Amino acid sequence: MEEKKYFHAVRVNTDLCKGCTKCVKICPTEALRVRESKICLDETRCIDCGKCINVCPYNAIEPISDPLSIIQPFPYKVAIVSASYAGQFSEDIDYETTLKGLYEVGFDEVIEESAVSEMMTRIKQHYIASHQNSRPILSSNCPAVVRLLQLRFPSLLPNLFHIEAPMSVLSMYYRDLIQREKKIPENDIGIFLIVPCIAQVTAVHQPEGAYKRMQDGAIAIKDIYNQIGNHLHKIKEMDIKIKTHPRGLVRALSGLEADYVGTEKIRTLAVSGIENVIDILHKVENHLLDQYDYIVLRSCTNGCVGGNFNVENAFIARSKINNLIKYSKNEDYELDSLYSCYLEGIFDVMPLEPRSMMELDKDIKQAIYKMKKIQELLKILPGFDCGACGSPSCKSLAEDIVQGNAKLEDCLILCKNKEDLE
Amino acid sequence: MAIYESIKPEKESTIKQFLDNPPEPEMSIDYEVNKKDFVNSGKASSDIKLLLKKLGVSTEVLRRVAVASYEAEINITAHSQGGKIVCNLFSDLVQLFFIDIGNGIKDLEKALEPGFSTADDLVREMGFGAGLGLPNIKKNSDYMKIVSEYNDHTELELLIFF
Repeated sequence: MEEKKYFHAVRVNTDLCKGCTKCVKICPTEALRVRESKICLDETRCIDCGKCINVCPYNAIEPISDPLSIIQPFPYKVAIVSASYAGQFSEDIDYETTLKGLYEVGFDEVIEESAVSEMMTRIKQHYIASHQNSRPILSSNCPAVVRLLQLRFPSLLPNLFHIEAPMSVLSMYYRDLIQREKKIPENDIGIFLIVPCIAQVTAVHQPEGAYKRMQDGAIAIKDIYNQIGNHLHKIKEMDIKIKTHPRGLVRALSGLEADYVGTEKIRTLAVSGIENVIDILHKVENHLLDQYDYIVLRSCTNGCVGGNFNVENAFIARSKINNLIKYSKNEDYELDSLYSCYLEGIFDVMPLEPRSMMELDKDIKQAIYKMKKIQELLKILPGFDCGACGSPSCKSLAEDIVQGNAKLEDCLILCKNKEDLE
Repeated sequence: MAIYESIKPEKESTIKQFLDNPPEPEMSIDYEVNKKDFVNSGKASSDIKLLLKKLGVSTEVLRRVAVASYEAEINITAHSQGGKIVCNLFSDLVQLFFIDIGNGIKDLEKALEPGFSTADDLVREMGFGAGLGLPNIKKNSDYMKIVSEYNDHTELELLIFF
């Protein structure tokens, strides 16, 4: 069988890498190794959570997103803006102006992710009520979490909310609407997401479960911020009539989203930060959280406001967005027809498949044999999990040795002890 | 001494064959379990779960092993003076022993009734003791055997096929 090629929105720059192993130890799926003093990424294991990018002191791991110039070839350019965008700017600048900035950089139409928030809440509540046999339902909006489940928790895949993410729902809806109302041919419309993290870039380029690619690119929030940041005061005067729907910005904050979906009959839990997500998923796997109906899982701290492509600190952005939700004027979008589309199954996604990279061998006998070898090696290895060998822990070094990707001599502690003895 | 045995009918002949002529396990791992140590309880069953993931065992079986072994590990922590878990791996099944010293089970039939519990206040405060442990273990395993001597020890054996 041919190995699937995975797209990742991270690029390793080996010229800058000093082989310090910080990223190796932080990676939640053990996808990174230092070999011959340089970092290498196991593309089958990476889930695009972006932890390695944040921790690298040498900027050797670069986040990838599409450049703004990608929109140029399309006669009609649509931006769908992630909710966390609203938390990035100084509070002197009103939210409306920051959205106008997107017209300034070349978009013809700007749609907020938040537009569809209330509708998504309604859809989720219906989905939860009509899937009583599956508890808890797990949110699927964070692409890093979806990939984490495929890789480390495949038994929980059926629990995922198998409906398109809000920005994809909007992409489908507006591509159709613009064709009908503005009489623009389908191929002339370019739909771009303004995203807070690399996982969203990956999801645009290689969606999981989607029947087709729905967007034409993913542009980082920070790139837009850098483009418009300096002349926002000029942009404020632009004569464009735009709608704002800050009430729906709850999507950017994982705790709030869970609150909105929750009712007397729907018990919810919100979890953010990849280590916390992993801890909770272990508990879900052991059936310890069956009393919850819906769990919102976000790889980044505080939810999407914690993504790599944001400019503002995740906690400050959270406070700004909270303020906007509570105190800004609000205009609703006419999206009622989306509910019947949902009921017709238009937003369904394909059942998500596991990414089986956990097993030591396709043949179970061989796998047990390798496991035995690993246990033997663990008795020899020091158990400090220092990472100096380039593998994240003694256990993973043992596994790497058994799989033929490392040698026992890679362990510096063992080498030193041997020298001392001699 | 009380003995209880439960066999999934569809696997009866394979199980009997296995029990009559137990083969050498391909691999065996032991874990210590300490009494009332609720902070660390669950680590052994987590480890067993990870082990089986590495062997490429199907997700459905994985979930059953996870639930049964977690419940049984908590039982040792909550109801005994400590004990050990032995995980024997074969190419087509996992055999788990949960052996403790201490309290034993007074009324084995009652202990198997859903909702029946002898958990003390500490155990209940820790969020356990709903009386679903043994019924859950039974439901998730292909073979379950309990041997218990009241005021002495309990030995639980499970077989789960891949």
